[in-house]
Amino acid sequence: MKDQQLTRGLVLIAIALGFGIPASGYQVGTFSRAGPGLFPLLISGIVGLIGLVMIVRSRLEKKPVPMTFKVKNILIVLAALVGFVVIAEHFKVALAVVYLVFVASLAGSDYSIRRNLKICVVLFAFAYAFHTFLGLSLTLF
Amino acid sequence: MEIIHNLAFGFEHALTLHNLMYCAIGCMVGTLVGLLPGLGPLSTISLLLPLTYSIPTGGALIMLAGIYYGAQYGDSVSAITMKIPHASSIVACIDGYQMTLNGKTGLALFSAGVSSFIGGTVAIVVLSTLAPLLGELAFLFGPADYCALMLLGFLCVSFVTTGGHMLNGLAMALIGVLLGTIGTDVNSGAQRFTFDQPFLADGVGLISVALGCFGIAEIVKNLDNRSQFTPFSGNIHLLPSWAEFKRIIPSALRGSAVGSFLGLLPGGGPTLAQFGAYALEKRFSKHREEIGKGAIEGVAGQAAADEAAARTSFIPLMSIGIPENAVMALMLAAFIVKGIQPGPNMIGQHPELFWGLVASMWIGNCFLLILNVPMVRYLLSVFKIPYAALFPAILFFCCIGTFSVNNNLDDIYITAVFGVLGYIFLRLDLEPAPLILGFILGPMLEENFRRALLLSRGNFATFVSRPISATLVALMAAFVIWQIVAYVRQTRVSVAA
Repeated sequence: MKDQQLTRGLVLIAIALGFGIPASGYQVGTFSRAGPGLFPLLISGIVGLIGLVMIVRSRLEKKPVPMTFKVKNILIVLAALVGFVVIAEHFKVALAVVYLVFVASLAGSDYSIRRNLKICVVLFAFAYAFHTFLGLSLTLF
Repeated sequence: MEIIHNLAFGFEHALTLHNLMYCAIGCMVGTLVGLLPGLGPLSTISLLLPLTYSIPTGGALIMLAGIYYGAQYGDSVSAITMKIPHASSIVACIDGYQMTLNGKTGLALFSAGVSSFIGGTVAIVVLSTLAPLLGELAFLFGPADYCALMLLGFLCVSFVTTGGHMLNGLAMALIGVLLGTIGTDVNSGAQRFTFDQPFLADGVGLISVALGCFGIAEIVKNLDNRSQFTPFSGNIHLLPSWAEFKRIIPSALRGSAVGSFLGLLPGGGPTLAQFGAYALEKRFSKHREEIGKGAIEGVAGQAAADEAAARTSFIPLMSIGIPENAVMALMLAAFIVKGIQPGPNMIGQHPELFWGLVASMWIGNCFLLILNVPMVRYLLSVFKIPYAALFPAILFFCCIGTFSVNNNLDDIYITAVFGVLGYIFLRLDLEPAPLILGFILGPMLEENFRRALLLSRGNFATFVSRPISATLVALMAAFVIWQIVAYVRQTRVSVAA
């Protein structure tokens, strides 16, 4: 996918279909007595239409705007978040915080274990403060 | 006289020790978080919104408002000192950063602070006169009128936030509306788009959507860019000479007037107001030839407009119940979490909240002026923390924020999903601000749409036969036609060229 406008149109149509197809399965009803499916169907119809307009436009454009999509950083952040939940649910929150910091910072410009440990300590302090002063039911250990 | 009485009543509520503390904390934390690169008012508010859940209603709203204008101020500071523009401080970058290059950072920051104070004060007068009046008008609104107003808001927000690519913004607003339909349909009780997953029965959480799109997606975008900001290290001499001080006042007053007005419009708010005020200064200022090269007027006018619009944009929210931009939509969500439905009845039913909030805005103004402006040089030290150390912490706060809504760790999965979606949207040049507005207004839009058609027995003429909605629909039509004409002209030119 090199063309941003074209990709945008396709993504919008995919979203429109993703909502529109299930919505058409719900009771649609009439305009005077709208069922639960009517409104989502209407809106996804408009989104699909906008998507179509964008595809048409992209064909008219002489110089398409290129896409820039970097998979690495978003995957690292995703892995950090998912791991955080899994570890916090099965082990200790403190361990999850350490995991989050050490994995997420892989996406940073430089990596330093010393600094990561410092961040962990600061975050522990925050978590403790939230727990004691704001009544957050998240216990570190 | 009534205004003075009402304001006095408001100050009684805002000046309690607790509320003062919430106001101060809000301003301070808002400024600090707003200073950070990549965190504008929207991300700051969504990050800090869950913290206010455990605070009593009045205090929570006061604190949120404080966070909002604190973040706004923090934004302009980072724009002036380091040219880090957020959506809300693009204009501050122009003359503000020029002044920094000329070695007048302190003067720029002082002008921005004083002008913000003036803008805020003017806006509060406007707010306390106009909000009750507009509240009376809001009683005339029927379902069709509400629908038309919300749709007009979508159009305007799409236009303002996407810098002219209105279709992109409109698509995002409508995707937000669709996301808002997830869960149980209030009219029929039917489950929509839940795919038999019990955790979707109540819909997706606002905090998950907001933190995903504004927190996580923005972080990753910043990481991709890898731009390192060199922290500001010069000296700051804050106090201006009397001659310089005299130049601030007229610009700030002009900016306040423009800002107060532009803040009222659907889709309006600080961004629009800054551009308006800046254009006005370029035309009418005594020193107009200096503007763009680091003139006090270029900073003062837009800062006053920024602050004024931030305050007056509360008017449509509190008197009609319809937020006009994404920040106000988050505010609406905060009101609803606290069990308060903003709208024509709010001023009557919760006068202490309404007038307390108005009064607290002025107190917040004072805090900004006496606390943040003198302390700005210390606040700037947050930039000594490298981004590589900052973003894991922000990620952690996103997790904590999501968790604290329902005390449920699984919600973080949903936030992560929206982070990925938000990142894809950003890469496709789809601005997430209209999405939040659509998401929050979606259920209201559907409700009013269905009610309007039920009352008119399925006749769409109801949207053009009532005077209020007919006017709004006409405005929308004019707007759309103008956009199409502009697009056709532009393509013709580019084809010809």
